[in-house]
Order: sequence, then C-alpha cells, then structure tokens
Amino acid sequence: MSDRDREDTRHHIETCPACADEVRTIERLLEGADSLGQNMKEALAGIDWDAQAEKIVSAVWKENTRAQIEPKQERMWLFGPRFRPVLAGLLLGILVGAAAMFITYRSGVFRKPPAEAFFASSEFLGRVDQEMARRETLDYLEKSQYVLLELAQTQTEGGDCRLTEAAARETRELLSKKKYLNPQLEKARMAKAKAICDQIELLFYELAQVSESLTPVQCRGIQDLIEEKDILLKIKLLKKELQESEV
Amino acid sequence: MEELRTTPHEHISTLLEKAGEGDRQAFKDLVSLYQQKVFLLAYSILRNREDALDVVQETFMRLYQKLSAYEKDRNFQAWLLQIAKNLSIDFYRKHYGKRREMEADRSVEELQLAADDRRSNPESSELRTVISRNLERLGERQRLIFVMKHFNGLEYREIAEVLGISVGTVKSLHFKAVRNLKNWLSPQLGMQP
Repeated sequence: MSDRDREDTRHHIETCPACADEVRTIERLLEGADSLGQNMKEALAGIDWDAQAEKIVSAVWKENTRAQIEPKQERMWLFGPRFRPVLAGLLLGILVGAAAMFITYRSGVFRKPPAEAFFASSEFLGRVDQEMARRETLDYLEKSQYVLLELAQTQTEGGDCRLTEAAARETRELLSKKKYLNPQLEKARMAKAKAICDQIELLFYELAQVSESLTPVQCRGIQDLIEEKDILLKIKLLKKELQESEV
Repeated sequence: MEELRTTPHEHISTLLEKAGEGDRQAFKDLVSLYQQKVFLLAYSILRNREDALDVVQETFMRLYQKLSAYEKDRNFQAWLLQIAKNLSIDFYRKHYGKRREMEADRSVEELQLAADDRRSNPESSELRTVISRNLERLGERQRLIFVMKHFNGLEYREIAEVLGISVGTVKSLHFKAVRNLKNWLSPQLGMQP
C-alpha cells in the first residue's frame, strides 16, 4: 500500500463511523490475543525451566547411550544366562545328531551298491554272431540272386548278353561284401552257406574279369556254369533255410 | 524471549557444532535458549501443559538425532519449530481426536490457574477466556499462524519458514483467522456481528 493510499484509508476510517468501529473491534481482539499470549508467557513462569532443560538433556543423553549399547545387548541377549540351558540343549542335540549320522554313514546304510558290470555268456555272444552272420548272408544271397537272374534273362536276339551298369556295380560291391562276410561265416560255423557263397563269389570273379559287354560264348559259358551248379536253386534253398532258422 | 531473537547466528552455529560433537553443556544451552518457544508452540496446539512438555522433550530428542542433517545456512529457530509443530500435530492426532472440545475447556481453566490474572480487570479476563476457547474453532493452519504470531511473537517471515508456505499465504490465513474471531466474538467485543 502506498503512502497516499495509506493516508486515504486512515482518513476514511476517521470519518466513517462503521469502519472506525470495526477497526476498534479488531484492535481490541488483537490486544486481547496479545494479552492472552502474554498470559501464556507468564504461565511459563510456573515451570522450572532450568530443571526442565536438565531433564531433557539427561533424557536425550540416556537415549543416545542406550541406542549405542542396545545393538550389543541385542546380540548378547541370546547368549545371556536365561538362554544358557536352551543353548546347551541345542549344542548337545547337534553333537548327538552328528555322532548318529557318522555311525549310520559308517555302517554303509547310505552307501550305494556299485553298479553291476554288463555280463553276457559266451553262448549268448555266439548266438548274436550267428544271427548277424545269418542276416548278412541273407542280404548277400538276395542281392546275388538279382544279379544272376538279370544275367540269365538279358540275352539278346543276337546271342550276346549285356550287364547293366547297375548290375556291374552291384557285382563289385558283392565281391567286397563277401570278403567281410567270410570271417563271420567261419565264426558262426555256417559251412554250407559259406560253400554256396564261395561258388557265387567265384562266378562274380569271372564276371568281373570280363567287360560289361560279353561275347555270346562268354555269356553262354557263365549261364552254363550257373545252370550246371544249380546256383540259383541253391541260393533259393539256402535263403529258405536261413529264414526259417531265425534266432 | 526478546533475548532469543537477538541471539547471534554464529553463536547458535557454534553451539550446534559442539552439541553434534557430543558436548553436553552446548546442547543444554540450546535447550535453555529454545525450550520455551517450543513449549508455547506445542501448548498452543495441544492446550495441555504436560503433553506440551512431553513434546518439548521429544522435539529436542529429535533435534539431537538430526544435528548432522542441519544445514548451516538455514534458520535454526524455524527448523526447530517446524520439528515441534510436526510432533505436536502428530501427538494431537494420535491422542486427542474426539477429546478436542473437552480439552479446550480444560485448557482454558488451566491457563487461568497458571496465570496470575489478579492484576487484570474482569472484562479483559473474560475476553481472553473467549478468545482462547474460540481459537479451537479455527482451522489448523489459521490457529497455528494466529498462535505463532501473537503468542510466540514470530514475524510473518518466520512463520512462513516454520510452516513451509509463502509469506503471502501466512498473511492471508492470519487475516482470515482475525476475521473469523471477530465475527465469533462480536458480542464480547461490543459490536454487532
């Protein structure tokens, strides 16, 4: 409020009875309030403030000291005399339990038995070898039969016969397979099967020695050999026998 | 009380520093300097002498715990009264509640007993009684501001610091408190409401 406004207001209050009355009322109220405040301050005189200050400082210091000591006391509380029997009992329980565990463990109750080693009898192993040989021989005979049948049926009108490229490749593979099959047959004591497979092998050797394109004479010679030795029949009979003797 | 307002800031800072280092006497000096102001503020809120003394003790306990957090540039008195105000309001909300009216009546009697009022005339004594009683009808902030202004003798700026509000808000709330009291006390003040 500027000085001019303040002066105008003061002038208005002096000339306006209502406003002057209100100002007097407020002044009286504030005087009463200040007087009440003064009385409150006088009421303070009824308190011994020196003793009060000492009481406060003592309480603060006591609280501060307690706060510093209390954590230690909390830690020690569990180990106090009151809980000594409990702690002793707990310790005894732990010792007894540990001893019982030690004894039980030593007795071997918890020890796992060693895993049994795999064992197979020689008889079982012999049967396995025989079965393996039987399957390999059957496969060999099957494939040989296809090659020989093809050779027997591919004769042309001119009298010459010709092996397909696939049959020639199969012949070479069968020769390799026979080398692998020999020890198996011997081990399994399959002498009859080995004799027939040897004849087939011999035939395949002769076939491999000639080129893919056989002369009619060569072709006739091999076909005669197959017929003469009844190789296809033997293959058929041996296959049947091996299929029936499945382990 | 006048001495407190002229206490040099450096002296207070020194006392605070020493108290923070564990100097008992320095802390006691601080208590002696400010306990009455804290009491008046607590008393104006709680209207009960014993409760107010409890709050004074609690305020200084809290002060000791927070000494390390005090910023030197801050107004110490405002900070301390802010702690006292918060504790008083907490205490009031926790323990008073519905007892408010009853406590107000009792506190008036207590005031009259405590104060040596024989020098005053009966009319002003009655006025003080009704002012005291009607203070309870004011809102919390209006009452606090009125009490701090007239009972504690704080400036608007100091009240603003204690309450954490602007000086303008303090002036506005003080004006509303005076207006309300004037309206309620019109008969006693010899004026038509």
